[in-house]
Amino acid sequence: MHLWMLLMFLGWCFTEMEAGPGAAMSTQTNGDRFKIEGRAIVPGVKTQDWVSTARVLVDGEEHVGFLRTDGSFAVNDVPSGSYVVEVVTPTYRFDPVRVDITSKGKMRYARLVNYIKTSEVIRQPYPLQIRSSGPHSYFMKRETWGWTDFLMNPMVMMMVLPLLIIVLLPKVVNTNDPEMRKEMEQSMNMLNPNPELPDVSELMTKLFSGSKGSSKAGSSSKGTRPAAKRR
Amino acid sequence: MAKLILLWLKCVILYNAVGAVFEDQVGKFDWRQQYVGKVRFSHFDTHVQSSKKVLVATENNVFAALNTRTGELFWRHVDKSGPEGNIDALLHHGQDAILVVGNGRLLRSWDVNVGGLNWEIVLDSGSFQKACLVGQQGTVKNVAVLKKNIISLHYLSNGHQKWIENLPESETVDYQTVYSGGNGEVYALGIVPHSHVVIIAYSTDDGEIIKQISVEAPWLSNIVASCAVIGQGVLICVDSATPSLYMCDLHLDTHDLQMTQIPLQSLGLEVAPDFQPVLVSHQPNSAHQPLSEFFLQLGPDNFLLLQLNNGQIVTLRDFKPALLVSFATTGEKTIAAVMSPKNKTACSINLFSAETGRRLLDTTLIFVMDPNGGKPEKIYIQPFLKKDDSVGYRAMVQTEDHTLTFIQQPGRVMWTREEALSDVVTMEMVDLPLTGTQAELEGEFGKKADGLMSMVFKRLSSQLILLQAWIAHLWKLFYDARKPRSQVKNEVTIENLSRDEFNLQKMMVMVTASGKLFGIDSKTGSILWRHYLEDVPSNAAFKLMVQRTTAHFPHPPQCTLLIKDQDTGLTTLHVFNPIFGKKSHVNPPALPQPILQSFLLPLMDQDYAKVLLLVDDQYKVSAFPSTKNVLQQLQEMASSIFFYLVDSSQGRLSGYRLRTDLSTEQIWEVVIPMEIQRIVSVKGKRPNEHVHSQGRVMGDRSVLYKYLNPNLLAVVTESTDTHQERSFVGIILIDGVTGRIIHEAVQRKARGPVHVVHSENWVVYEYWSTKSRRNEFSVIELYEGMELYNSTVFSSLDRPHAPQVLQQSYIFPSAISTMEATLTEKGITSRHLLIGLPSGGILSLPKMFLDPRRPEIVSEQSREENLIPYAPELMIRTEWFINYNQSISRVRGIHTSPSGLESTCLVVAYGLDIYQTRVYPSKQFDVLKDDYDYMLISSVLLALFFATMISKRLAEVKLLNRAWR
Repeated sequence: MHLWMLLMFLGWCFTEMEAGPGAAMSTQTNGDRFKIEGRAIVPGVKTQDWVSTARVLVDGEEHVGFLRTDGSFAVNDVPSGSYVVEVVTPTYRFDPVRVDITSKGKMRYARLVNYIKTSEVIRQPYPLQIRSSGPHSYFMKRETWGWTDFLMNPMVMMMVLPLLIIVLLPKVVNTNDPEMRKEMEQSMNMLNPNPELPDVSELMTKLFSGSKGSSKAGSSSKGTRPAAKRR
Repeated sequence: MAKLILLWLKCVILYNAVGAVFEDQVGKFDWRQQYVGKVRFSHFDTHVQSSKKVLVATENNVFAALNTRTGELFWRHVDKSGPEGNIDALLHHGQDAILVVGNGRLLRSWDVNVGGLNWEIVLDSGSFQKACLVGQQGTVKNVAVLKKNIISLHYLSNGHQKWIENLPESETVDYQTVYSGGNGEVYALGIVPHSHVVIIAYSTDDGEIIKQISVEAPWLSNIVASCAVIGQGVLICVDSATPSLYMCDLHLDTHDLQMTQIPLQSLGLEVAPDFQPVLVSHQPNSAHQPLSEFFLQLGPDNFLLLQLNNGQIVTLRDFKPALLVSFATTGEKTIAAVMSPKNKTACSINLFSAETGRRLLDTTLIFVMDPNGGKPEKIYIQPFLKKDDSVGYRAMVQTEDHTLTFIQQPGRVMWTREEALSDVVTMEMVDLPLTGTQAELEGEFGKKADGLMSMVFKRLSSQLILLQAWIAHLWKLFYDARKPRSQVKNEVTIENLSRDEFNLQKMMVMVTASGKLFGIDSKTGSILWRHYLEDVPSNAAFKLMVQRTTAHFPHPPQCTLLIKDQDTGLTTLHVFNPIFGKKSHVNPPALPQPILQSFLLPLMDQDYAKVLLLVDDQYKVSAFPSTKNVLQQLQEMASSIFFYLVDSSQGRLSGYRLRTDLSTEQIWEVVIPMEIQRIVSVKGKRPNEHVHSQGRVMGDRSVLYKYLNPNLLAVVTESTDTHQERSFVGIILIDGVTGRIIHEAVQRKARGPVHVVHSENWVVYEYWSTKSRRNEFSVIELYEGMELYNSTVFSSLDRPHAPQVLQQSYIFPSAISTMEATLTEKGITSRHLLIGLPSGGILSLPKMFLDPRRPEIVSEQSREENLIPYAPELMIRTEWFINYNQSISRVRGIHTSPSGLESTCLVVAYGLDIYQTRVYPSKQFDVLKDDYDYMLISSVLLALFFATMISKRLAEVKLLNRAWR
């Protein structure tokens, strides 16, 4: 049973709440309850089109706020503490922000949420400016079938290329030219330095087909076709 | 860190395709229904003549605008549940709607057109009494909010406070209502019960007290219940004791103001015995004074339209019998709508002129009551002026079962909304029955054989029937194909319900908190039957059990609903057919004693109904059905029937065994000290769960066997100390038969709410870590080890070795609302966790991410085993949302049910909304995917075929040529 191997040393307590200046806000105190303010922005989209489906959730559904018609929001009646503020809409994605409210409610600051290093602070402006990072992507892309996919398949490439060589090469190289034939035979000999040494494949065919086919195989091995085959 | 990210990327790439929706699958096999809850306030949007909106504020803290033509939602705002989001008042002016929320804590103004917030302000604390719009010189600019001890006035445009005043003598005087007649004064009306009424007039401009009067009223105890303001500011009250009406003019500036008494007898009226009369007044425009006509209800079905005319009360019309009345205004005309019973199944609504009490011609509307619904509770009238200046109207009727019905003249139902479904408590999915022809075939095998010839004939006839059905089906296909697609609608009705080949379509039996039962077709979401149980206590707990499935034709399927009053523990049973919703003719036993525990046994009686055992507070057991056959079986089986009881108030868990005489004996008891911790939940395994593989194959080819104890209970406790340093969450795994504690784990510095899923050999739970302020998941898995003790059968009594326990925890970057695991027919498919998030998404998280064997250091063996390297944070990927953008508000439960296909699990999520879909945790391995390219495969086949033909021909030619050579 092992727990928190990594978290053990990262997740030290969060008690030291940095009391820096930076984001000192105007506070509207209400007993010991405070207000989280901010604004959500979806670039390039009119606010009327999305605010009616949006909500501001503070720590799950612990506190709920709604967006005004200009995209700004205020979550009222929040006691002091540390909260994760999230703007939720079905269409647009917003990154959550952590907001800390001290017990006096005087000092608050916002930062990016980091669940692993809970004490790490990356300051965010306050009142919050939450910018949408684009629409949610809910769907997987279907695998579509195209000719290019088919042709670029390695298996197909492996099949097609040798085929091309077999079919095209004899046509490109003029086998009737005696000079060419000589040249090729030479190159064959270069490849097969010892003509007396039996070819492995020939050996195998001899072995399996018995004596009958042996002479035939031997005689045809000098043609141009096996040379191409070997290539 | 970089390494971690790398690892994470690796798993993402590895498991990218797990559980996702393709865009073209949208709406193909999923549907969502959105609800708002029981309507508390409703206003028709009248500021534009052509407006199609009706605003509703509900008891579920929802504020929404419905389309009056279709009943669908324009927009909806779901506030926090509980008293803090409670909507106290709804005021409507122009295109603004003003809400008072959370016992007067917040004042909100909504733009009705867009559905966006105009402003929200926090009010001073104090219990809310009443709010009203305040007009001056014909325009409404302010809203007045009356609380127990203060009154404040706010601007409608921005919510800013115009003035706030403390109410004088608020310790003794109970201020209950506020009124404004549009003349620059705001009246706060308070009462000292059985003594006097206090009337304070404030100036709208600066909140100065213009006058303060107290009027003797020793007979009055509550202004809201028995008073109303009518006409030019006349307070009129009704007293049932005398019985008489009392009047006083608020505008009179004398200090010895008296209430003038008008005995009802002098008007020739009589109050029904034991009835508290009610006054209904109407103020068409907040900038003007109310009507001088009002309704007086004298009995449950008796209303009177009265008029105040020069200080005299005149009876305009007597309505008897009348169920409901309502005023409505369009343009300059105000009408009174009266609903009266017509016969047993229908009501009629008629319009009357409010000024004269004359009936308006051609305004009768028939409202047909659903025999399986409740009685009408409220009516809302939407009047409009026709071209010839006569009044037409539509009516929205709210019934006791929370149904909204919108009707048009002369009685056409435009839409109904079953708002009871916003509060589903429990549900089951029942297989649909076989069709008549299928049943015929089945019946053939069931019957006793009576000769060869007759058997042959029977077979032939049934085959003929099948052929006939097939031809009919083909004909229908052909016929439908010719029609345009939009006209072809496969209406699902109870009659043509039948099981499909893969058993993907099922009947969803849903039980709602209001006591209304629904049968919903899982494929389309249409409600096939509804049944309202009238005498359900408001705090009832429900348990739904399927006693007989549809598999036992010709016996009808049977469900039993246990309704338990949580205060008294008294229980009633409702037995019904889940396919048709009809009450069964089987009479359930009367249960005079409170019931502690109930469970279904795998035993069946001779009619294939599973036996339901009920344990009462005397620890006596009764069986239902309790035929001789059942009792005999029970006696034989008694020694192996064990059950457990949980008493969370005492922190006690105890196990019992059944004796042959149906009494019980306690065999174990575990006491969890109440001072330190309390039991939050106890979770067993689902009885219909199958586990396919007994173990897991390790990297070295050995097998790690799972500890599959069907009697294992997961008990979750929370500490009573809620201090964040000392609070903890405990989980205890107990064998339900022997009481043996298998494992105990404590999560320090953690608190609830704890969500648990217990299945196979694992328990997954989620809690809030107070130390790191985040949600965390923890998984416990139990293994027997490398050898299985007894591989054929599991017995709790004979398992000497304690299982190996593995545990691992993870960070989850969101709060969760509910959690459930997928379930399939045979348990071959890998499992996913379905997690309902507060944002409305349902995340399908593969169980392999919650595997305590995830290694920190990747080794050859772990790679062989396909274990994902340990990463502390679980990811929420929107591709894993099974409901894409169809977010579900306030998910309370997720129900999973296996289908006939092993790869497919049916999922229903319910909360404020209902969402049904299918999930494929291991993808669709047993059917062709819906994007299967038939064109490609057939074209390739054809091409190959032709290629062979051609090459054959060519080869022949070549052979021939060679032979000729």
